[in-house]
Amino acid sequence: MSFSPTTSRRGAELGLGLLAAIVAAFGYLLVQLAQKPDVPADLWVIFAAVLGLFTLAHIAVRRLAPDANQVLLPIAALLNGLGFVTVARLDSNLGRIQAAWTAVSILAFVLTLVFVKRVRTLERYRYTFLFLGMIALLLPLAPGLGKTINGARLWVGVGPVNFQPGEAAKVFLVLFFAAYLVDKREVLASGGRRIGRMVLPEPRHLGPLMLAWGVSILIMVRETDLGQAMILFALCGLMLYVATERAAYTVVSVALFLTAAVIAYQLFGHVQTRVQTWIDPFKYANDKGYQLVQSLFGFAAGGFAGTGLGLGSPKQIPNVATDFVFSAIGEELGLLGCVAVLIALLLLIGSGYQIAVRSERPFSKLFATGLTTIIGLQSFVIIGGVTRVIPLTGVTLPFISYGGSSLLANWVILALLLRISDDNAHGTPVGGSQRTARAP
Amino acid sequence: MNRAIRRVGIGVVALVLILVLQLTYLTIVDANNLKRNPHNVRALLSNANRPRGNIVTADGTLVAQSQKVSDGTVFKYLREYPTKDLFAQTVGYQSFVFGSTGVENTYNNALLGRENQLNLNNIPDIFSGKQTIGTVVLSMRADAQRLAQQLLGFQRGSVVLLDVKTGGVLAMYSNPSYDPNPFVSHNNQLAQAAFTAVQSNPDHPALPRAYRERYPPGSSFKTVTASVALGDGVATPSSTFPVRTQLQLPQSSNTLKNFGGESCGGTLVASFTVSCNTTFGQLGLQLGDQFVPGMAKFGIGQAPPVDISPGAVPSVGPPAGSFASNQPLFAFAGIGQGAVAVTPLQMALVAEGIANGGVILQPHVVSEIRDNNDKLIRRIDPSPWMTATTPQVAQAVTQMMVQVVQNGTGTAAQINGVTVAGKTGTAQSAPNQAPHAWFVAFAPAEAPRFAVAVLVEHGGGNLEATGGRVAAPIAAQMLKLVLGVK
Repeated sequence: MSFSPTTSRRGAELGLGLLAAIVAAFGYLLVQLAQKPDVPADLWVIFAAVLGLFTLAHIAVRRLAPDANQVLLPIAALLNGLGFVTVARLDSNLGRIQAAWTAVSILAFVLTLVFVKRVRTLERYRYTFLFLGMIALLLPLAPGLGKTINGARLWVGVGPVNFQPGEAAKVFLVLFFAAYLVDKREVLASGGRRIGRMVLPEPRHLGPLMLAWGVSILIMVRETDLGQAMILFALCGLMLYVATERAAYTVVSVALFLTAAVIAYQLFGHVQTRVQTWIDPFKYANDKGYQLVQSLFGFAAGGFAGTGLGLGSPKQIPNVATDFVFSAIGEELGLLGCVAVLIALLLLIGSGYQIAVRSERPFSKLFATGLTTIIGLQSFVIIGGVTRVIPLTGVTLPFISYGGSSLLANWVILALLLRISDDNAHGTPVGGSQRTARAP
Repeated sequence: MNRAIRRVGIGVVALVLILVLQLTYLTIVDANNLKRNPHNVRALLSNANRPRGNIVTADGTLVAQSQKVSDGTVFKYLREYPTKDLFAQTVGYQSFVFGSTGVENTYNNALLGRENQLNLNNIPDIFSGKQTIGTVVLSMRADAQRLAQQLLGFQRGSVVLLDVKTGGVLAMYSNPSYDPNPFVSHNNQLAQAAFTAVQSNPDHPALPRAYRERYPPGSSFKTVTASVALGDGVATPSSTFPVRTQLQLPQSSNTLKNFGGESCGGTLVASFTVSCNTTFGQLGLQLGDQFVPGMAKFGIGQAPPVDISPGAVPSVGPPAGSFASNQPLFAFAGIGQGAVAVTPLQMALVAEGIANGGVILQPHVVSEIRDNNDKLIRRIDPSPWMTATTPQVAQAVTQMMVQVVQNGTGTAAQINGVTVAGKTGTAQSAPNQAPHAWFVAFAPAEAPRFAVAVLVEHGGGNLEATGGRVAAPIAAQMLKLVLGVK
């Protein structure tokens, strides 16, 4: 292993991170200038803080995962920086909270790199993580702990801090799915039962997976968090497909998804509302469709280059800092800004899949795929929702939306991806033996 | 598994492409539809939430400005009119309840920084989000406007003062006026109450009499009659007319009488100097159907294209081709009565046409648009509106108008050291009401610079009022101010 590739990778990471910090600082400057024509006194503080946090993360990667992918961290920094600027522009109080959560998240990022020395150690604790995931999902329903905000019971309140454990649950469940599927993928791929032309696996192989999946979705439905339920559904289907490379699973997943969607539509009033406002938002422009219609107006107001940071009226959209943050970006940064965010997300997701492809270990491959897919699905569900490509469901836009739990989860995902990437570079001559050693 | 991962990756790229397509549709293709949607209040808000340019007079007085406020409303800026009622009828107001009028309306894009030239000069700013707003510089002068207000005092009426070389309006004031500040208040109830009070006031303070109200011009219209008669070869300055007290009208048992029952006539010049009605009634009859196209060349029948919204109303004369059926109408038209009804602005334009050798310029109250940095963006250049008559005819009428001020009915308009050309008008309005007092003039007669029209409704309530007594002194004061004569 030569020294220079590592150095050049980390050098590129530092350079790109510096650019990301400059973008964030300039964005902050523009937001402040839109309010009063003075350079804000705290501009250097913000710039130093962004740069400082990035440098901390960068040093952690240099020390703990020196051969990891070099674009993930700067892109996350760019998106997080842009998100902070947008949130701070919408509400300076939320901006301060978001800044604090960013610091906490980067700390979690570093701690993840410190404690997860090898991703395969996680593989061993799959049922522990399944258990943790279930607990995390159930917590908001616990009396005394759970809190209902905006009609969804997703929060756990500890003192002044509200936390959405569902964000963490997704990571735990992906870990379980990856570990379980790696074990069973051969039996699942070969199939057992033949129904017509379809070859389906033995129920006992698929059972635990289906159970975990079903229970998770039921809990989310109970909490009326349909966006997350949808993402988990699709995530599980895609991981099953990647593990087995059997298109039949995709067909079954899509069929199951459509059935679930129809049932949900019949059962829940708010699902009907979302579909109705998706089909004709302007019919409900003053009530149910208000948010979506305002979001569309925001994009129209932004046009090609946007109104400029701080110069639009994104506060016309209720909950703009969380679910509709992308509409605020569309209004003030225009099509240019939106496409820039999409390209950044695409690079992030592309790098994630690249890491998955380069992994030699099936577990790492599947785990990286799952983690990347969370970011991809979540981005598509919310951006598609606010632009009326699909019915709206409230989930956060990774790294950008206001929300500490989401930010924390995304930074942990990033650390895990970097860990896998670093593992790849080191090669794993002991891989095979490792797996035999672990077998019961 | 790699093949499946790559396929998932391709799927993600496809989804992102769908998002880009939809974003392009929303921000570019369908944007104008969405902006026009009645539920969309963003345009209104964005106008309310960005600074709006200043409006200043030619002599540097601030007429309209936007003040940053935080008064608990959604509006970030409050429009203010420091000159209160002085420019209300020309500059107007910009209200989110009642809409916008005047210069605020016609130059909205410049004030918001949306003028093309403003945008071209600031392409870098489009990306930085910096706002470019325009300052609108009026051709109007605050001192002239204030003097007009002061001279009219409590009398209802109008003063219009023009720069004959540019077509720029220097003063255009009508009494009474109103304060537009309450109209733009962010307190809706207050705004509504002020608006209702102004609208229901019987004196119509919101009516810009100068360009939106028509009055019979009386003898001041003899400037037009004389020009058309000279231009069409119906008369020469030395043509003689019978000396008499009244003119028997055809198709009627009525007569057209001279003012105060006097006896007058003689040459056209003499008749013009003493404002002899019988002569000009006869000219109206002699012109017949030629009279209507002749006065149309002065702009009668068309709205002057002044840069104010709502714009000027057209002045009117007798119906074209109606001479055969209604001859008395043409006799009365010759002395500016009957079917003739004009705006004070129109009469100022008549004076300007004679002063300019027959050419009437497009009137405008704004002279320049400047950017934030006081850089000139656009100048409103002089552009001809009408060719009213020939230089020769204009010269002959000027001579007659000089006689009016030197020896005739308009001696009150004399200015020391300056030759003033003018014409009085004392127009019958309603029975038992004092006549409207008019004076139209320009100066210096040999090299004209300024034209003025003064109207005092019902002579200010004085039954003995005449144009010479009531309006001419006001015209003289206005001309003295702009000519710099003490």
